[in-house]
Amino acid sequence: MKKIVLALSFMISSMFAHSAIMSCFDNADGTITCEGGFSDGSSATGVKFKVEKDGKIIFNTKMNEYSEVTFDKPSGDYTAIFDAGEGHQVKIKGSDITE
Amino acid sequence: MKKILISSIAATVLSTSAFAHFQMLYTDNMALPKGKTVELTQVFTHPFADEHTMDMAGVEEFYVINKGKKKDLMKSLNSITFQGNHNKAKAYESKYKARRMGDHILVLKPKPYYEKNEDAYIQQITKTIINVAGTPTDWDSELGLKAEIVPLTKPYAIWEGGSFTGIVKSEGKVVPYAEIEVEYLNRDVDTKNNKMGKDRVTAPQDSFVTMTIKANKDGEFTFAIPKAGQWGFCALGVGPDKEYKGKELSQDAVIWVEAKPMK
Repeated sequence: MKKIVLALSFMISSMFAHSAIMSCFDNADGTITCEGGFSDGSSATGVKFKVEKDGKIIFNTKMNEYSEVTFDKPSGDYTAIFDAGEGHQVKIKGSDITE
Repeated sequence: MKKILISSIAATVLSTSAFAHFQMLYTDNMALPKGKTVELTQVFTHPFADEHTMDMAGVEEFYVINKGKKKDLMKSLNSITFQGNHNKAKAYESKYKARRMGDHILVLKPKPYYEKNEDAYIQQITKTIINVAGTPTDWDSELGLKAEIVPLTKPYAIWEGGSFTGIVKSEGKVVPYAEIEVEYLNRDVDTKNNKMGKDRVTAPQDSFVTMTIKANKDGEFTFAIPKAGQWGFCALGVGPDKEYKGKELSQDAVIWVEAKPMK
């Protein structure tokens, strides 16, 4: 039991020791792809991802097996959010997402 | 006597020149904050002294690896004439869309270059690794190249005053005590006009132009980087191919790294 607790605490501290990273690009076909990751190279598969527009969540999913998400490009201002937990959120404004 | 002196000076110049060839696979920034299309220049030169630019004989392979996927880039190459500080030479330029996050390992395998002074061929298999957004993906991958420096330090994430460690390999096997030449890219590269800028620093003596170090018994070496900018490492003659067109061939491994200033 002690071993399990120790292992768990290591995993958690390890997770918090590195930073979350996201990069997005415009596919020029009406869709946007966002890739997530961590500074130690670990996978972002299953990490929460959402798109906000006017304070509302308009798209909500999880990063796929390749640590990425592709979604229809919203019109106007929006924000892509990679949510790996408290202190590990990365936000990118739609206006900063280019080809 | 005068003749001997002149020929010994000539020999020195020739040997200096012969020991400092570097295949460049240049881009102006290896650590990109976000994805972008990068301009690449493939020129065979002497990055510290720029006393002579060599005509590239052509390219056998040019590709990139990102997240384990290999993409051929041969069709992206355009022939150019590159203007060094002393002469012009055949070189290449290309554009690459480094859009996806992570490491993009660019690999250039030029056709062997005939070095008249040595009556021998040189082939420098060259790696430049670009990173997008800071997440590491492929940088430490061993590609099993005939001649390869596998980095143990991210080549794009070095502070000025930091160090670079690599392992010299040939087809996956370490090369003990490999001889490695190190040169500082001592100038700006004007990729718009395909020409080299002027010297930034002056070497106090020839051994500072091309610095020669050796790997240890495990093929591993470390070099402290004293100045921000790009640095080339070339492990000499480590590849298995020793002959080309009936002449001696030196199959070398080159890797480029970039140190950033702390400011």
